[in-house]
Amino acid sequence: MDQIALGFSELLQPAVLMMLTIGVFAGLVVGSIPGVNDNIAFAVFIPFSFNLPAEQALALMVGIYCAAAAGGAIPAIMIRVPGTASALLTTINGNAMARKGQAGQALSIAMVSSVVGGLLSALVLLVFAPALAKVALRFGYVENAALTILGLSSVVGLLSGNVLKGVISAMLGLLISTIGYSQVTGYPRYTFGSINLIEGIPFVPMLVGLFGVAAVFDLLRDQAQERRENTEAEKLPEIGSMRLGRTLIRRLIPTWLTSAAIGNFIGVLPGAGMLMAIYIAYDQAGRRFRKHFAGRKGEAKWDEGAPEGIAAPEAANNAVTASSMVPLLSLGIPGNSTSALFIGAMALHGLVPGPLLFTQHADIAWMIMVAFLACNIIMGPAAYIVIRTVSRVIFSIPKNVMVGVIVLLCLLGAYSDGNNLFNIWVALGAGAVAYLMKIANIPLGPAILGLVLGGQMEASIANSLSISRGDWLVFIDPVNHPISAIMLLAALLMWVAPALRGLRHMRANRCAKGQRS
Amino acid sequence: MLKSLLLGAALGTSLLASASAQDYPTQDIDLVVPFDPGGSVDVTSRLLAEAANKYLDGVSVVVSNRAGGGGVVGQSFVSKAKPDGYTVLAMTSSVVTNPQLKGAPYKIEDFTPVAAYNLDPEVIAIPASSPFQTIDDFVTATKERPLNITVAGIGTSHHMAGLALTSAAGLEFNYIPANGFGEQLQAVVGGHADGAFWPMGEAMVHAEAGTVRILAIASDARDPNFPDVPTFEEAGLNIPIWATFRGWAVPAGTSDETVTFLSDLLKKVFEDDTYQEKMAAAGFDAIYRDAANFQSIITAYSNQVVPIIEDNGLAK
Repeated sequence: MDQIALGFSELLQPAVLMMLTIGVFAGLVVGSIPGVNDNIAFAVFIPFSFNLPAEQALALMVGIYCAAAAGGAIPAIMIRVPGTASALLTTINGNAMARKGQAGQALSIAMVSSVVGGLLSALVLLVFAPALAKVALRFGYVENAALTILGLSSVVGLLSGNVLKGVISAMLGLLISTIGYSQVTGYPRYTFGSINLIEGIPFVPMLVGLFGVAAVFDLLRDQAQERRENTEAEKLPEIGSMRLGRTLIRRLIPTWLTSAAIGNFIGVLPGAGMLMAIYIAYDQAGRRFRKHFAGRKGEAKWDEGAPEGIAAPEAANNAVTASSMVPLLSLGIPGNSTSALFIGAMALHGLVPGPLLFTQHADIAWMIMVAFLACNIIMGPAAYIVIRTVSRVIFSIPKNVMVGVIVLLCLLGAYSDGNNLFNIWVALGAGAVAYLMKIANIPLGPAILGLVLGGQMEASIANSLSISRGDWLVFIDPVNHPISAIMLLAALLMWVAPALRGLRHMRANRCAKGQRS
Repeated sequence: MLKSLLLGAALGTSLLASASAQDYPTQDIDLVVPFDPGGSVDVTSRLLAEAANKYLDGVSVVVSNRAGGGGVVGQSFVSKAKPDGYTVLAMTSSVVTNPQLKGAPYKIEDFTPVAAYNLDPEVIAIPASSPFQTIDDFVTATKERPLNITVAGIGTSHHMAGLALTSAAGLEFNYIPANGFGEQLQAVVGGHADGAFWPMGEAMVHAEAGTVRILAIASDARDPNFPDVPTFEEAGLNIPIWATFRGWAVPAGTSDETVTFLSDLLKKVFEDDTYQEKMAAAGFDAIYRDAANFQSIITAYSNQVVPIIEDNGLAK
């Protein structure tokens, strides 16, 4: 308790609190700009942080980190372009709601979900960090291999319809993830002699291309179609009322809790990350929706404006923020690529994350922990202000102008990750591929999960086998690796359940047909 | 009209010529870090630049990150830069091995070393919960059955430290390549690997925190922070020194005066107390080795690793 008070006394210095608030606003804006994400923002900011006192620099970074995960939802809902990769799934139901004239509602759900997810995550960090760090440590190579398989399997639930196309998409993602230096053998693969591909296709530019550039191509197609058919261009949705009804809030509580739990769990584990969290949470929320609400009168279909479809990914991605600091602060192990950047920012100020931080710089360590709590409290009103002012102005810009601006921002964001011109080609290429996939009706989700998890999956399976000296049973060893066995079982269920449902469906259809004839 | 244009052009060129004859430096110096911001090379480079700017008049050292290809993109950029002293590479050991291991399009001779500012000796680290108390326990165990050792990657200096132990001391290991230090730390602290080969700079804080134990250090003297940890030689491992280095280098063909200027600048930085303190706080041992000395460090390292790369078929 004393320590939490120490953290607050550090945080409540006017300058530190101001930096945190600036960080929250900056994060909301950064998050809502397609093509720029928290990773890129940090890369640009870290050099400047050098001239700030450590507590101010870190408070600002905490603010950006949390708020960017929320801000990504704004363009996702308004123009179907996710501001950050973590808002990818929010586009589906969010934009559908906005087109029905409920943009304000959708934005409110997104922001409230983000705040709820973030607050729960901050509490987890503050209260359970040491205990959870021990859980995180139990994740070795075998457990990580099982986790990646579970993550990839979560996509099965999303494949309404053509499973084959989904599998093709996942394969494509996995294959692309093999480009570059092989972690297992140390040999470069499919680099075609290009030094830019030694470490694989640069990841951040690729994401910018898949989400940002591809979405722009999509907008362009809409416009071309409108022009051809001479129809009135569909205006951007008006934000409108942001009030959430009490019944809706009560209805979303279970989704928030499950999604935040998923986000926290994934966040604590090193190497997983937001994308995996949003897919699993979305999958769970989809099941709940179909069970309780689908088909009711006045209820939108899943993927066509269901509130759970916004609440789940938004609560989950913000739940990853603070929890990803659990292994970082308690052990010095970064939970994901963004929290890894905290190491650099801290090192510049002579701080090394890990157990010693709490003895040598207890004030800073606890300041970071309580900053996550405080920034989520600030985030609610801040998001309201940003949506009511900045977003309202931005989204009154004509669509065709906005398309150009988004392309520029995407390319700028891609370039600034490493200041390499090659990244621009990556972003454009990835955008084109994602767009073609959309035209061919191949879902992008499985490919993205394949890309994100492929490298880790390959390395952790190879390393597990290396340690077990080639014994594949190590993955389902219930004594030494119970976590792995359970996760693989869960993954299996994710595959089997839809297949069984499909079979039952088919049989029912056949019976019905038989009766008719 | 034509005459005046020509005259203007002539005047312009002569002005430019006289400008280049002026003392170096007259413009900002680009310190190219071939990695993303926040890594150890980036952090030390920024600490250096901050201190160096105190000793520069009107110009400054500007860190610019050119990441990609595991460092090769930025390194190639500097190898092709104009040798005028305004493009400096934050040079690491990987410059020596990248042409062979990753097919980097430069040769080590394309760079002229300026000075080294940090040497990081290799250590053998094990989980705090490990049954091995001394390096002898470790050696006996790995002779019985090769231990699982996590390293930063196949072909990295740390992997090669293990291969060097194989030829020098007859020890065999089962290597578990990782992606980054965090992943290795997770494996060691969690007890998923039997140990790791790490640079002292990264291992130190975790050993001080008591989550990992250091068994031996590949340096010519014991580390004052860990007086009980024997050197590799003392432990009978027959490797006098195994260390990665960090320093500055410029494109080959840079004038000697410029190299001397930069080298002296790093010397002034090294003697700066604030710089020393900040380096120590960030976990780095600040040293200074002038251009000639740095060259011999590079040569020695190259002599150590090139045979290992060839003998183990690691070259591309």
